[in-house]
Amino acid sequence: MAILNFGYAISRPRAIDVDNNDLRKSNDIIAEMPELQACIGCGSCTASCTAAAITDFNFRKLHTAVRRGEYKGVYDELSKCMLCGKCRLVCPRGINTRGLVMLIKRKLGDF
Amino acid sequence: MTFFAPFTIPFIAGALFMFAAIFLKWLWWTVKLPKVDRRLILHNFFTRNTLVAVWEVVRESLLHIRIFRVNPLLGYMHMSLAFGWFLLIVVGWIETSVYLGWEMIPIQGHIFFKYFTQVNNIDAHSALLENLMDGLLLLVLSGVALAWFKRMASRAMGMRRATKHALYDRIALSALWFVFPARLVAESLTAAIYGGGGFLTGSLGSWLGGVVPTEMLALIYEPSWWFYSSVLGLFFVALPFSRYMHIFTEIPLIFLRRWQLRPTLERKSYDNFEVEACSRCGICIDPCQLQADLGIHDTQSVYYLRDRRYNMLSLKVANNCLMCGRCEAVCPVGINLTTLRINSRAMRRNIPHEGRYGYLTNIDRSSGVGKVGYFAGCMTSLLPAVQRSMMQIFNAVGEDVWYADKDGGVCCGRPLMLSGETDAARKMVAYNTDLFRRYEITTLVTSCPICLRSFRDNYRLDGIEVLHHSEYIERLITEGRLRVAAGAEVYSYHDPCELGRGLKIYDSPRRVIEAVGTLREAEHNRRDALCCGGSLANTVIDDGKQQRIARRMTAELEATGCDTIVTSCPLCQKSIARTATRPTLDIAEVIAQRIVS
Repeated sequence: MAILNFGYAISRPRAIDVDNNDLRKSNDIIAEMPELQACIGCGSCTASCTAAAITDFNFRKLHTAVRRGEYKGVYDELSKCMLCGKCRLVCPRGINTRGLVMLIKRKLGDF
Repeated sequence: MTFFAPFTIPFIAGALFMFAAIFLKWLWWTVKLPKVDRRLILHNFFTRNTLVAVWEVVRESLLHIRIFRVNPLLGYMHMSLAFGWFLLIVVGWIETSVYLGWEMIPIQGHIFFKYFTQVNNIDAHSALLENLMDGLLLLVLSGVALAWFKRMASRAMGMRRATKHALYDRIALSALWFVFPARLVAESLTAAIYGGGGFLTGSLGSWLGGVVPTEMLALIYEPSWWFYSSVLGLFFVALPFSRYMHIFTEIPLIFLRRWQLRPTLERKSYDNFEVEACSRCGICIDPCQLQADLGIHDTQSVYYLRDRRYNMLSLKVANNCLMCGRCEAVCPVGINLTTLRINSRAMRRNIPHEGRYGYLTNIDRSSGVGKVGYFAGCMTSLLPAVQRSMMQIFNAVGEDVWYADKDGGVCCGRPLMLSGETDAARKMVAYNTDLFRRYEITTLVTSCPICLRSFRDNYRLDGIEVLHHSEYIERLITEGRLRVAAGAEVYSYHDPCELGRGLKIYDSPRRVIEAVGTLREAEHNRRDALCCGGSLANTVIDDGKQQRIARRMTAELEATGCDTIVTSCPLCQKSIARTATRPTLDIAEVIAQRIVS
């Protein structure tokens, strides 16, 4: 099984169409936390993440997807977060990541 | 004898309304108390605690001893209004009893006694009683004068900022301010027309009789009593809805607290007693660093409790708090401000989610074998030097240690609790408890005060001794198991909020530092220590604001002229290190450097 998951399987198309995505929630989130736009996508949040060390939880992937209007499954996935706050301490852009987790969950509660 | 006059109607109506409202409130809150709390009341009712509570009511509801400790003038203001008014009622009642014997007199007969002595031709001219009553009136009036003065210059009374009041409070406050001057005027006019009165009303009366024409005096005599009765009535009507409800809420609160009732992470009826016992004195405003360093003026405990009481609490106000506990440490009513705020958050955020943290089953990242467990905690894993130092110390004393989360473990749950996700936090609590039990450890050492607080307050770890690493190291040194070399280094120590105010651990870290060098105290220390600003409890303020809080706190530590700043919390260390110009170390690192093998 391990070799199947390695990446030689056929990948499904993964196009993200920002023009057709509903960006209202995303814009809402950015309006409440403008500092999110300063994210450079370095992934320090994921690298330091307590939950990521024991699962495939990936916070960078999730907040990037949300910004692009891809909300499906994000709420459930974000529920894996333990809110320990290490990501906030390592973020080189000083983004309030703990607040962001709570904000995204609040906004996406119905997705 | 008659004890009725039309002017007493506002007073009677107001008083009846007030007592009915208070009674209904008390009844409602008590009926809604959960079973556990009611059982506690029954269990503790016939114990010494009840007597202790009576004494505390005298000390706090009447004399306001705790406010005297904040500022003597402020304490005097509160004491003169509360105790003065209380004595005015009691001595007034004695006065009528002296003149009329033990006759049943309606309540307005006591309150407006000076008026009814004239109506009924009662010979009431005991100089002692009249002077005593005037003295008490003067005592209360001095409190009112100070209250006015405080509105203009709160700084002179030890408060840099006073509370900004809501409309209800302003109405009640204005009525209260008029009550005693109105009484002075009415009683002085009575003395001016009919003679009598003590050193205050009597002298003022004879002076008025000299300068004001008799017809004029007769004209304003009745209206002055009407005014007095009306402001009293207005105050009574406003009381149950304003901050003055604290007068009649603090008393049952003191009893309930002595009967061991406490607020919990979930809301319950007991919270009403705590919320409405807030007098909005505003003593909690000055210690708040969000106010002092960031100029945020809407989130302090006094405003939080007000918003919660009137059902207008915004998510932002509930979330915008460091939960450093500086307000709780000075609150003269002793309200559990942080617990209340957590359960406010829980009300909005504690969403049941059964499948959540399903991944916690079958995870075990622990390593090593030993009866002593070491739980580094999430934050410590960002500071590998702390964990390394702890390992050096363990090795030096030859302790067999089981490491719970050397390669990343599961969070203790407190961060979730602080944000109000109580049920989710319980899953971490269950996971970690199970882990500790499975490895049968007898001692659990952690270097993170956040974890420590949850282990002590929210876990059931009977049979396992939970220690902060500073307590553990202190024990090693006093038992002679760990030998350290003292040096000439000068340290200053920062008290982490969770460790200090949260768990009352102030001395262990200090003794550990003093074993290896000189300790210099910062201006704010121990119970009064400043927060580093990095608190997990606040999810509203941004990074820049966190740094501003940290900067002032670090500056105080550096002002001691220390070589090294020491703390015993990885989160505090992170916050301090980025604003400090001197090395910032954890207490474990300091000790590890000085181990004598």
